[in-house]
Amino acid sequence: MSGFLAVYRREMLSLWVTPLAWVLLVVFLLLQGTIFYSIVVHFTSLADLAVETGPVEAYFGQESVFLLMTLLLVCPALTMRAFAEERRSGTIEALLTAPVTPGSVVLGKYLAVLSTYAAMWAPTVLYVVVLRKTGAVDWHTVGASYFGLFAIGAAYLALGTLMSAMAKSQLIALLLAIFVEFGLFVLGVGEYVFEPGLLRDVCAHISMGSQMEEMSRGIIDLRRIVFDASIATASLFVTTRVVDSWRWG
Amino acid sequence: MIEAEHLTKDYGSVVAVQDVSFDVGQGEIVGFLGPNGAGKTTTLRMLAGFLGATSGSVRIAGFDVARQSLEARARLGYMPEAAPLYPELRVREYLTFRAALKRVPRRERKSAVERSLEQAAVKDVAETPIGQLSKGYRQRVALADALVANPPLLILDEPTAGLDPNQIVEVRKLIRELGQSHTILLSTHILPEVEAVCDRALVIARGRLVAGGTLAELKARSKGREARLVVRGAPGALEAAAAQVSGVKQARASVLDRAAQTAELLLEMAEDAHPEETVERAVAALVAAGAGVRGVGPVRASLEEVFADLTRAPEQAPAGETKEPQA
Repeated sequence: MSGFLAVYRREMLSLWVTPLAWVLLVVFLLLQGTIFYSIVVHFTSLADLAVETGPVEAYFGQESVFLLMTLLLVCPALTMRAFAEERRSGTIEALLTAPVTPGSVVLGKYLAVLSTYAAMWAPTVLYVVVLRKTGAVDWHTVGASYFGLFAIGAAYLALGTLMSAMAKSQLIALLLAIFVEFGLFVLGVGEYVFEPGLLRDVCAHISMGSQMEEMSRGIIDLRRIVFDASIATASLFVTTRVVDSWRWG
Repeated sequence: MIEAEHLTKDYGSVVAVQDVSFDVGQGEIVGFLGPNGAGKTTTLRMLAGFLGATSGSVRIAGFDVARQSLEARARLGYMPEAAPLYPELRVREYLTFRAALKRVPRRERKSAVERSLEQAAVKDVAETPIGQLSKGYRQRVALADALVANPPLLILDEPTAGLDPNQIVEVRKLIRELGQSHTILLSTHILPEVEAVCDRALVIARGRLVAGGTLAELKARSKGREARLVVRGAPGALEAAAAQVSGVKQARASVLDRAAQTAELLLEMAEDAHPEETVERAVAALVAAGAGVRGVGPVRASLEEVFADLTRAPEQAPAGETKEPQA
């Protein structure tokens, strides 16, 4: 357990003393700010104000495609260094010869990027706080939306961690993670492409867009959570096995 | 402290280490000696639990590295080759992280870090980011890392590689000091290092352990002693004159400078002969035969010769011999 905590702290320190986390944070917040601003401007221009949803729901829900696109950029960049950098520089040798299990190394690294991801979202709560002045905000749907984003991030970051363990260079890890995560995203888009049937149902289950739309309306479907958690758990399990397998390389 | 039995590492096409067995006892400083690519790092990685052995077993302080991996790893401080470190961390941050990772209790962490900073003489750079340190400092930070949990066993992979001569002297001194309270296994391809630091040496070549023992034992393995002379005269005549001298087993001359008519004369001594007296007799005989002795080298029976003998690839030895008369 002390091993896990030590790895977690070291990862957090390394993420935040290097420019990477800050650069990502700036890019991320710029994009989110622009998206949110456009949505708000769009809503103010609507003549009929008797619409069902407000800008906050639109931001997390119908228009969540923009938000998910930024995740496809930010999540792979957050996870790319996790193992690839340690293997390139050789520090992995010092790490794995310390009395720690591969499981605590993987978990420590993963939770560090997940915490960083959550920290990046934190300032966006301000958007909602600002909007509160112009009307009522349903904090339940906002809470559900953030929960949905956290679950998607948990899945994407676990996939990215796995890709980082499989690649020796950060660039390859980044590209692999983008490829896999974008693939997952595109599969979800199939919901709007295929004829009604099995294929479309499968795509609808995978769709991160639909997940966010549901969550933005305050609907927390357990199947969505199970899906995200399964991706995260399976990826982390395989990552642990990959790390263990280096012993036999 | 270390019991390695029949260690083999097979990379499919290449067998990096083959059937290596040895013991290192409590309190010993053992040098793991071999040319580059002999399998030193692979063996040390297997001892440290970073690589799994294809077959064979390692016990560290009685714990099997494969089965009781965490217990074994908790008892050794391993310094990997080339001292890989996180460049973005400060030295103290890094050592604190390593202390936590190595299960130093929270209350003792601070003093453990201080002690290792002092032992490895890196206290003056404690607040410097590792990326800004020179190679010598980084090497010593890696050493401090190996020491931070105060393990009974240290395994150091080429601890002096890439250091300047002054730093090498310092690190060797440090290792000797540490040897009073720790068991140390260090790898090197530099002979004087073993002579300067170690009680005992293990020699590895082409993945096999070819010799092991105290330095005196290793030196005793050198059967033949030899001396090199620079002599003016015809090589054939020189060889004939030197071969007559009692105590000379074989004499070989090769031309050094055709214009000056000088040759290098290599005298191999018989095993029972007194080497220095034989040289004296040989010089007298050469002078009597009309040759001009221009230089006499010392009689060699150093570790270097043993090392060269032990580690030379078998197919290279005849090639080296056919070359000499042609030169």
